Amino acid sequence: MAVRREKAERLADEELMPLVGRKDPEAFAVLYDRHGGAAYSLSYRIVGDRAAAEEVTQEAFISVWRSGARFDAARGSVRSWLLSVVRNRAIDFLRSRAGKAPKLTFDDDSVLEQRPAEERTDEEALRRETAAELRGAIGKLPGEQSKVIELAYFGGFSHSEISRILGLPMGTVKGRMRLGLEKIRGELAEGLA
Amino acid sequence: MNVSDHKRWSEDLAAYMLGALDADEVAGFERHLEGCERCQEEMRWLEPAVATLPEVVERQEAPPQLRETLMAEVREDVREAESRAAPARSWRQWLLKPAMGLAVVALLVAGVVGYEVGKDGGGEGGAPSTIERQEGPLTVKMVSEGDGGTLHLSGVEQLPPDKVLEAWVEREGEVEAVPALFVPDRNGQAETRITDMSGVATVMVTEEPRGGSDQPTGEPIMTMSVPQ
Repeated sequence: MAVRREKAERLADEELMPLVGRKDPEAFAVLYDRHGGAAYSLSYRIVGDRAAAEEVTQEAFISVWRSGARFDAARGSVRSWLLSVVRNRAIDFLRSRAGKAPKLTFDDDSVLEQRPAEERTDEEALRRETAAELRGAIGKLPGEQSKVIELAYFGGFSHSEISRILGLPMGTVKGRMRLGLEKIRGELAEGLA
Repeated sequence: MNVSDHKRWSEDLAAYMLGALDADEVAGFERHLEGCERCQEEMRWLEPAVATLPEVVERQEAPPQLRETLMAEVREDVREAESRAAPARSWRQWLLKPAMGLAVVALLVAGVVGYEVGKDGGGEGGAPSTIERQEGPLTVKMVSEGDGGTLHLSGVEQLPPDKVLEAWVEREGEVEAVPALFVPDRNGQAETRITDMSGVATVMVTEEPRGGSDQPTGEPIMTMSVPQ
């Protein structure tokens, strides 16, 4: 078992997915160990409750385990795909729990402060550095743009719901979403240059 | 696709990517997206911005029991799949497949001869007994002890990454899968444990897809008859 675990740890996410599709528990465990923390954090950020975040994360990973073949490498990284699965589950949870008001800020100052020491590998250090750059990119958004993105992505509201919440025309909401994403993208591109 | 059509749908692109289009708008947008290269290109450009969003949330430590619960469920799934695979189809039905039947008959004969040549005379009074024989490049050794036995193979070729070895036993005319899948080590040695050898007339090994199969899908790499 140990040999297989070591072997799985050397594989890239994209190489693990076919093994997960063939129901290899060790490959799945490695996938969870790599991304479970981010998944739980995202889930907690959306549902705002530890027990619910745990339930949502578990359901999301089990759905990945039972349908691993659905991952399409042409459409992005395994991590992005996994986190989108978690996000969708969390939003479904929110929608099923009527009356939940989403948080309206990005928590910029406290991002990634509470990682356990054993996770501080080189890869993790790089990810933390990258996360700091990402926070910077988002932090530069005008509040009106970050708010509509926040309500949509973390709150699960549609543009028409956001339009009602903020008392804005729908075209304005969609325009702010577009401008906000373009600005983040531009900052990321500058960071890479 | 004219310019004004693209412009109209393009306004929805960011909302679509953020999962914020109303349910009745999604299908229409996706139809447009399928045929609009400009929208596809814009989406590819903006995708990293959306992928950024989950990465900036405050990091929480996942509770350890989450991993434990998850892996317990995963292993239970595997156990259920294995138990469904165990009662395989009838041995005789499997033998009726022409190519497979011929191969097995030939190997059964070789197995009996191998046993006669290789048995070491043990096995009385519960002491370990060993059957060993050569089958082409393979050395096959079956060590029986108590109710079970261990099948040792040497000279096994390395498997493709998506393949494993699966052992099968024939008992009272029925083929059963041995639950533990196995693979050769870098020296071509492979072994698997068969916990219940009672009534087993034949042991066989096939190459199967990772995760195993509920019945043999290829010709056996070895077949050994077990004296009763």
